[in-house]
Amino acid sequence: MSAAPTWTGAPVTTVPDASAPAIVLDRVVKEYAGGIRALDEVSLTVERGTFLAVMGPSGSGKSTLMHCAAGLDSPTSGSVRIDGNEIAGLNETRRTELRRERVGFVFQAYNLIPSLSIQDNITLPLRLAGRTPDHDWLRTLTERVGIADRLGHRPAELSGGQQQRAAVVRALAARPAVVFADEPTGALDLRSAHEVLDLLRDLVDDLRQTVVMVTHDPAAAARAHHVAVMADGRVVEALEAPSAPELAARLVALAGV
Amino acid sequence: MSSKSSKSSKTAISSKFTLSTKFALFRLALQMVGHRITALIAVACAVLGGAALLTGTGVLAESGLRSHLPVGRLGGADVVVAADQELHPSGDMPIALPERRTVPAQLVRELAELPGVTAAVGDLGFPAALVDAHGRVVPSKDPQASGHGWSSVKLLDGARVEGSGPAGSGEIAVDSATAAAAGVKVGDRVNVVVNARPAAGYRVSAVVDAPDAGVLFADTTAVRLSGRDGGDGGDGGGGDGGPRAGTVDLIGLRTAPGATEQVAADVRTKLRGTGLEAVTGADRGDLVSPGAGASRTLLVLLAGSLGGIVLLITGFVTASALAVSVAGQRRDLALMRAVGATPRQIRRLAAVQSTVVAAVALVPGVALGHLLAGRFRDLLADQGLVPPELPLTISPLPALATTLLMALTVQVSARSSAWRTSRMPATEAVAESRSEPRDPSRTRTRVGLLVIVAATTMSAVPLFAPTVLGAAATSMAGILGAIGLALAGPALVRAIGNAAARRTRTGASAPTWLAMANVRAYALRNAGIVSTLAMAVVFVLTYTFAQTTVLAATADDTRTGTLAQQRLTAPALGGLSAGTLADVRDTAGVRAAAPVSTTTVVWPYRMFDDTVTEADSAMILTPEASEVLDLDVREGSLDRLTGATIAVSSDVARSRSASVGRRVGLVLGDGARVDAEVVAVYARGLGFGTVVLSHDLAAGHTTTGLDQSILIRTDGTPAARQALTSLAASHPGLALTDAAPTTTDGLKDAPPQVWINLAMIVVLLGYLLLSIANKLVAATAQRRVELGALRLIGTTPRQIRAMMRREAAVTAATALTAALLLSAIPLALLGQGFLGRPWPAGPAWLLPALALTVTATAFLTIELPTRQALRTPPADAIRAQ
Repeated sequence: MSAAPTWTGAPVTTVPDASAPAIVLDRVVKEYAGGIRALDEVSLTVERGTFLAVMGPSGSGKSTLMHCAAGLDSPTSGSVRIDGNEIAGLNETRRTELRRERVGFVFQAYNLIPSLSIQDNITLPLRLAGRTPDHDWLRTLTERVGIADRLGHRPAELSGGQQQRAAVVRALAARPAVVFADEPTGALDLRSAHEVLDLLRDLVDDLRQTVVMVTHDPAAAARAHHVAVMADGRVVEALEAPSAPELAARLVALAGV
Repeated sequence: MSSKSSKSSKTAISSKFTLSTKFALFRLALQMVGHRITALIAVACAVLGGAALLTGTGVLAESGLRSHLPVGRLGGADVVVAADQELHPSGDMPIALPERRTVPAQLVRELAELPGVTAAVGDLGFPAALVDAHGRVVPSKDPQASGHGWSSVKLLDGARVEGSGPAGSGEIAVDSATAAAAGVKVGDRVNVVVNARPAAGYRVSAVVDAPDAGVLFADTTAVRLSGRDGGDGGDGGGGDGGPRAGTVDLIGLRTAPGATEQVAADVRTKLRGTGLEAVTGADRGDLVSPGAGASRTLLVLLAGSLGGIVLLITGFVTASALAVSVAGQRRDLALMRAVGATPRQIRRLAAVQSTVVAAVALVPGVALGHLLAGRFRDLLADQGLVPPELPLTISPLPALATTLLMALTVQVSARSSAWRTSRMPATEAVAESRSEPRDPSRTRTRVGLLVIVAATTMSAVPLFAPTVLGAAATSMAGILGAIGLALAGPALVRAIGNAAARRTRTGASAPTWLAMANVRAYALRNAGIVSTLAMAVVFVLTYTFAQTTVLAATADDTRTGTLAQQRLTAPALGGLSAGTLADVRDTAGVRAAAPVSTTTVVWPYRMFDDTVTEADSAMILTPEASEVLDLDVREGSLDRLTGATIAVSSDVARSRSASVGRRVGLVLGDGARVDAEVVAVYARGLGFGTVVLSHDLAAGHTTTGLDQSILIRTDGTPAARQALTSLAASHPGLALTDAAPTTTDGLKDAPPQVWINLAMIVVLLGYLLLSIANKLVAATAQRRVELGALRLIGTTPRQIRAMMRREAAVTAATALTAALLLSAIPLALLGQGFLGRPWPAGPAWLLPALALTVTATAFLTIELPTRQALRTPPADAIRAQ
């Protein structure tokens, strides 16, 4: 019943037909002050054009995994490569610059900048990087997610679902190697949540975008190609396109361990 | 109690319930306090500083009203009978009278016969100064009344006497300090200057070991010397001995043990209707020296003039600190709305929470206020403005008043800050709480603009009334303008932000562009900071320049109006005699000489159907004054300044309709009511005061009857100056100085009052800057989430810092511009009114120094918390919301 320990120490998730993986984690350890080991020698590869969901109970290390994989945090030991770039040993500024180029984020709380219009929010990462926005690309994206008519509005004037879709466009604006989504549906009602998940899946299937989503919701995770289940700082199980009930059962089992 | 509780179980339950919800609210408020520590530190600092300033001002005011000087040489008199040294206008504060009022001498014998009185002494004071072996005058504490009769020894508290009392007119007794300073002992001969007449030799018959006992003459000699014998009083202004003959300054009574209160009551019964009073205990101290007692009122005046500004600034700072604090927890409050708190509960929560913080800060604030008042009193004493021995009165009253004012300010501003969030539908409140963007209220903007217009109108006062009071309107107008800015600010800041954002749209760097977006979007938050910074600048500019401009105008008036080159004074002798005036006039090279003294005059006049009773400082001049002073007489002539006549300044002539030929009723410095004719109206009121009394009118109504100074116009040759110098040198105690300060630039010659005002400006500026710093730190700390989100989407720490610096720059620049615009009109009008040019007088470095201070404050207090915020990993920062 319990997960096989073979998952640690070896590449976990591989996706065929990709030349260079979007994310490669190799024996990543993250320790916090007081000797708490949040990640315990995690190795993980995310191939291009795949949708990976990371699941696990609270405290299993899924958020820390995402922070390390996205370059928000430096691992204590081990190697993290984003689009082929090693981030271990980079300082905050260099990591920020790498993130800005290669990584997009979608958060539970949207985190749009309240003082900026939706349009300005979407182009902000490009502006910060000193790049010119690709207007055709942005138009395609905004039309596709259905916020093309709300570009001049402030975030507070949009519904939660609209704000989250705007956040998705912002994450994609710079054509990043990978988009990280941290509980993207956590603050949304059921319908909006479905729309956002559909959107993420479509991005992967149609545009060959890579998406890593952290969630505790089995229904959300079931929309991914692959699911990595975490417990106690390790990836304890990898599942290929599991169904929501199957995932729920796994989680219940994990909680019972 | 028990019968009540059994009356109805229902009320008991419901009251218990409300009690518990109230308690829950209180606990909740406390818990929320813990989470908003930076914002609440700002509130605490504002309240602490405000409480200190208010308490300090209150203590000064109360001390001015209620402090008593030490009883000093009256320590042995259980009951002191004297004339009331205060004027009591109906419905107004009492006015201290600085010139000694007298008591009929025959009363001494009548009071001596009262049961319980063991001794009754009529005390008189007159100028008497010892000259030491080197020809120097021995200084005394009260040169105007250092001479007394020997019987006044009985007034001293247990004095030891070495030798025997002076017998006959050739002997004196002196107190031990004076004896030591003069280098004399019992049996020695010493020269004494009495009533500023030439020194005469006396034999020291006794040394009295008591402080301030003075120079004691045989009683009959004392009566003669002080001009109370009805014959030829001193030849200094006492005239024919008229008004003061047959009087004493005060009567001291010694009573049998335990009989003091009974005697005092009997005396009061006896004195009813005479205007005399009988005092016991600490009150006696005020009667030792009326001049010193009167200086107490300076404390009241100072506290009064500071009180308004302190109150305005304290209220403003506290209210704006609370606005930042409440704004920081709008989300919490909105969420509480969402879970069912009523709007009233929300407002009460905000108020309770702020009150708790304020209460904690109030205690050290009040303590600090007492320290502050003590330091301030020391400063005044050092400057010679109040007697150094004047104690402060410490009572709970100032603390109580401060607590009330602060509680009111805190409650009102906390509730109004939470008003908008509390009134909104719960869902909308939550949505809006995430960000500020909201339109500044139109009413608020309109009220603010109205206040600015009103303040600007008010600043026109100096044009019509170039007086010290008129100049106060300038500083008041400046502060009101800044308050108007605080109200209208959000709309203005947004407009500026919009303009700036439009300009920077293309081609600007990302941090600049972000900064502009923030300035525009957080108009409310920025306006609060901008207006406080602007207030600091406006306040310091208008307040300082009002002082220096009046100073410059006054000095200009005095300089151009003083024709005399030299001034002769004799502070240690208590005055100058008529003989000295004659000597000066006989000196070679002297063209003219005239006595000039200063006293206080009370002029009740009607304004808006109300009788205003104000004390003015008044010069005492003779008709010859026109030879040494040019008051720029516009109407009438100073030549007619004889008999019961006065001259008035033109602004008083206008405002109190006192043109030449009118008769006005005055109260002189000793409380005497007189009727005087206006014989001249002059323009230089700023330099020479509003009222000039004729020498004849004031005669007999001053403590000494002597002139305080003689102004001398010479032919301008060095020989004349030399002759005067030797005249002064040959008479002990005379001092020759330049008649008017030759330079007026800079603050070097500023009177002590100006320095005190400047010290107050520095204190208030420090308070304002502290509150600004706190607000900026709190506001920046509240942006952690925003900064975290920015970093997550790829803003480098460098870019964040650049953005914040640019915001600081815009804040500082907007504040400086607003401050300049707000103070420009008041200062131009001030300059026009006082100096006839549209700019004020004052130190040119003030503006750049202020600009630097304000900019440095803005940058530092944004930079440091930003760096602090950048230390938190961005993912943690956004999770903290």
